[in-house]
Amino acid sequence: MKHLDFDILVIGGGHAGVEAALVASHTGKRVGLISLDKTKLALMSCNPSVGGLGKSHIVKEIDALGGVMARATDATGIQFRKLNLSRGPAVWATRVQADRTAYNQYICQIINNDPNIEVIEAAADAILVENGQAVGVELDSGESVMAKAVIVCTGTFLGGLIHIGEKKIKAGRKGEKAAYKLTNSFRSLGFEVGRLKTGTPPRLDGTTIDYDLCEIQPGIEPKPYFSYDTKAIEIEQVPCFLTYTTKETKKIIQANLKKSPMFSGQIKSTGPRYCPSIEDKIYRFSDRDRHQIFLEPEGKNNSEVYPNGFSTSLPEDIQLKAIKTITGLENVKITQPGYAIEYDYCPAYQIKNSLETKLIANLYFAGQINGTSGYEEAAGQGLLAGLNASLKIDQEPPLILDRAESYIGVMIDDLVTRSTTEPYRMFTSRAEYRLCLREDNARDRLFDYANRYNLIPKEKYSQFTILQKETDLEMAKLSKIVISVAKLGKLADIFEKKENVSLADLLTVPGVEYDDIEPFIGSNGSYLSDADAIKERVSIFIKYKGYIKKQEREVSKFRNMESQFIPEDMPYNELNGLRNEAQEKFTRFKPISLGQASRIEGVTTGDIAALSVHVRKYSNKQKNRPEVE
Amino acid sequence: MMYYGSIVNETDTIIDEVTMVQMPVGNSYTGLDQAEIFCHGGQYVLKQILQQIYKFDIRPAEPGEFTRRAFLAGRIDLTKAEAVADLIASKTEYSYRSARDNLLGELSQHINTLRDRAILLLAEIEAAIDYPEENLDISEKKNQLESIEFLISSIKELIDSYKSGKIIKEGFKIVIAGRPNAGKSSLFNLLLNQNRAIVTPTPGTTRDYLTEWIELDGHAVSLTDTAGLRKSVSAIEKSGQFYAEVEMKRADLIIWMADISKKSWKSSLLYDLEKLSKFGDVLIVLNKTDLANKTAFKNISSAIKELGIYGLILSCKTRSGIGKLKKDLINSINKNMPDLTDRLVVTSERHKKKLTNSLKYLKNAQKGIQSEISPELIAFELRQAVNKIDEITGRIYTEDILDNIFSHFCIGK
Ligand SMILES: Nc1nc2c(ncn2[C@@H]2O[C@H](COP(=O)(O)OP(=O)(O)OP(=O)(O)O)[C@@H](O)[C@H]2O)c(=O)[nH]1
Ligand SMILES: [Mg+2]
Repeated sequence: MKHLDFDILVIGGGHAGVEAALVASHTGKRVGLISLDKTKLALMSCNPSVGGLGKSHIVKEIDALGGVMARATDATGIQFRKLNLSRGPAVWATRVQADRTAYNQYICQIINNDPNIEVIEAAADAILVENGQAVGVELDSGESVMAKAVIVCTGTFLGGLIHIGEKKIKAGRKGEKAAYKLTNSFRSLGFEVGRLKTGTPPRLDGTTIDYDLCEIQPGIEPKPYFSYDTKAIEIEQVPCFLTYTTKETKKIIQANLKKSPMFSGQIKSTGPRYCPSIEDKIYRFSDRDRHQIFLEPEGKNNSEVYPNGFSTSLPEDIQLKAIKTITGLENVKITQPGYAIEYDYCPAYQIKNSLETKLIANLYFAGQINGTSGYEEAAGQGLLAGLNASLKIDQEPPLILDRAESYIGVMIDDLVTRSTTEPYRMFTSRAEYRLCLREDNARDRLFDYANRYNLIPKEKYSQFTILQKETDLEMAKLSKIVISVAKLGKLADIFEKKENVSLADLLTVPGVEYDDIEPFIGSNGSYLSDADAIKERVSIFIKYKGYIKKQEREVSKFRNMESQFIPEDMPYNELNGLRNEAQEKFTRFKPISLGQASRIEGVTTGDIAALSVHVRKYSNKQKNRPEVE
Repeated sequence: MMYYGSIVNETDTIIDEVTMVQMPVGNSYTGLDQAEIFCHGGQYVLKQILQQIYKFDIRPAEPGEFTRRAFLAGRIDLTKAEAVADLIASKTEYSYRSARDNLLGELSQHINTLRDRAILLLAEIEAAIDYPEENLDISEKKNQLESIEFLISSIKELIDSYKSGKIIKEGFKIVIAGRPNAGKSSLFNLLLNQNRAIVTPTPGTTRDYLTEWIELDGHAVSLTDTAGLRKSVSAIEKSGQFYAEVEMKRADLIIWMADISKKSWKSSLLYDLEKLSKFGDVLIVLNKTDLANKTAFKNISSAIKELGIYGLILSCKTRSGIGKLKKDLINSINKNMPDLTDRLVVTSERHKKKLTNSLKYLKNAQKGIQSEISPELIAFELRQAVNKIDEITGRIYTEDILDNIFSHFCIGK
């Protein structure tokens, strides 16, 4: 008999792998984290920025579920901003520039100090499978490590191939070995493997930039943090700068388009439309004379700068020539060229909502292997994969988040119902119940889970339930205090009728903020929770109340369809009235519910109607079946 | 594949020479294996052939079963399926045409064009939300308002068409109502050209309502005779009156009859007019004018002026005024009938409901854009509007669509 080394093996120490390992450890599992280099955990291979629209929501959810990304970013942030502040709270988005090195070190320290996690410096060559179940990993040393579950978080390392002009380099990141054997292992296990592409801009020597010619973009104070637990951190923020490409840039790039592997045909896989290379932007929007470039610092003690918006795979000499035409970068030095990278992924119809693969039990996929891009997306999946692997070992049902309770749920559902052909990035518009999924209420949505699975300390949970109760009390109080409009002074102009109004109603008026009504509240009750936190929660709840109610009605309709479960062994090929295409789709995607089935692309109402007939028949049969002792 | 041959009975006697077309799976209406037999006419031959066929494991289709199967096979979408249901139930030429247009998908096409327009607007608003830092070329408020006004007026037009749509589908509904003994049943019989309803001199003769189809100028009209309305003690009469009012509410036109041979008819009518104001179109008919002499006649004319009504003067006994009445009825029908040559008509109540909901959300969005509320709220309203549209064509699948399908096509036996 083989010796069982670990409960869970995590392949890859990126953002997904780290969250997976940590959550598995918190739930008491022994974890082996396989990474090529112990010191390169949670590196930011693209820009050192965390959050932004949709992504920040995921980070907040990770925090509510006890993950590390929020805390790590807060602790190592060098610039803090909140986007969309002129709009409503559902689309506010925190974005933080982290210090790349500090972030990596912060994570390394946590992992290395975790007694349940052992980092194995090696490459994984193959998944070991027995009786359709993952049982371990074969390392490049030839050694086998055994475990009860395996989580694959290989990022761009899986079959990674870097393109710079005509140059091709086998690598997972600049200067780092890619994993080729592992792809073959997936193929021979029967997985469909596809190919995606992403890109990164050159890195610049910040001391060679003329910032006087650029627009400064400072961070904001007080700093917005990701983690609900972060208390003010004293650091001096570092600004970003905004500059533009010029007509010269356009000329140079247009003249050299053919040298870009994207245009020469050297790269055939699809890149993300939302993050195009500079050559792509100039080619597709030839009528625009300039494009925005954000100059983002890579760290406090690091003079390297990331020119966001200038992703390119042109040859190095052209990159330099083109970038020098950008305002303020006339004398710039490139420290590392930009490149495009192709990598393997397994189209996500092959995983369940729990992130376990349909083909091999106890094998989980998280991050870019599922076709996503972005640290936040990867981390969110890693956390759930780690938790679900752990639950599976404990013979508990997995945690499956739905579209109405979290962005992570939206993401996973999107992944498993659509065959993504371009890297998947989160946007707030992907969430149909966006008004209910806000940065401010991630704990309201997910803390019960965090508590149930022991992902957070008990006292944190009870503190939060107090905050919830006190928020309710405060809201009730505001509805009870009624004042005459005449007393309102300037605010009175908003009202047509000069009658009495409750403070709660007053707060729903656009332009009226909590501070405006505070003078009328009178003696403040003594709350245990942070007064500012209560204030913010009350304002948002009251301002959105009408919409949230409407949205909740939609949610209940949605949940109704979600709760019509489809048996896993549904014999789609034998069902009458289903089109061949629908049979094929359902067999491939194995939807868990009628609701999910209806979201599979190419499925028609007729297919769902037909399917629903069979599901009803089937569940009737189940009901009528005599109880088995 | 087309075959030619004969159908024979057990004793090999030829019943008929027929052609048969076999349609392969996937090409047939139902998406299933399908064969069609063409025989020579005649009820007798047809019966004989069917008798032979039923001896195999073959049964006649249930009502709507072909449509149901076609729908389940994904051959037709929801609006088309509903159009087929309309077609089966169609009573008039108009009705047939509008159902056929729906079937051809014109309605869903039109609705999809509107949807695309809404999506375009939504996409712009969403882009501005998700890319706050990019310099996007977003349309100005003015253009956004233009888009939404276009959507609102288009959807309003569709909703308005339902009134005609309902008439097309269910026929024009005329209800004869009035106080007891006014001559309602007499007029009913007159328009029907047969003695269908019982007529007696006793007030309160008609107890239950009675509906018959008549044809007026090529339109199918359903004509209903009701129980006379008065304060009553009898339970039977009361319940008859209750249904009379229900019918009046559903009417496209009410003929209210007054008996001018009654002394107090004027004050009664004045009282009744007020009650009638809660119903739709009403035509006042003053009956039994044969009993009025010259001076009384003058009184009627001045009374009509006084009351400020359009009163049609009629005698069921002498039939004087009946030609004018028919003309008035035809005018009223034509006024409510759509010109089907250039307009789409919504005939399904479900569609109308969804469109009305969609309109509500569009108006909210319009208000939102005007008063510049936060864009995620505008997006919320627009998204709801689009969802409601999607529920018409079945692009979005919700339980009520399911219910509708189950009730229409008796699925799941
Ligand atoms: N002289 C005269 N008698 C009429 C006329 N129309 C109806 N009548 C008579 O009035 C009486 C009542 O007629 P109906 O048609 O039964 O009246 P109704 O309104 O249906 O009465 P209920 O069903 O009882 O509410 C009958 O005796 C008819 O013959 C008319 O134009 N002139
Ligand atoms: Mg009668």
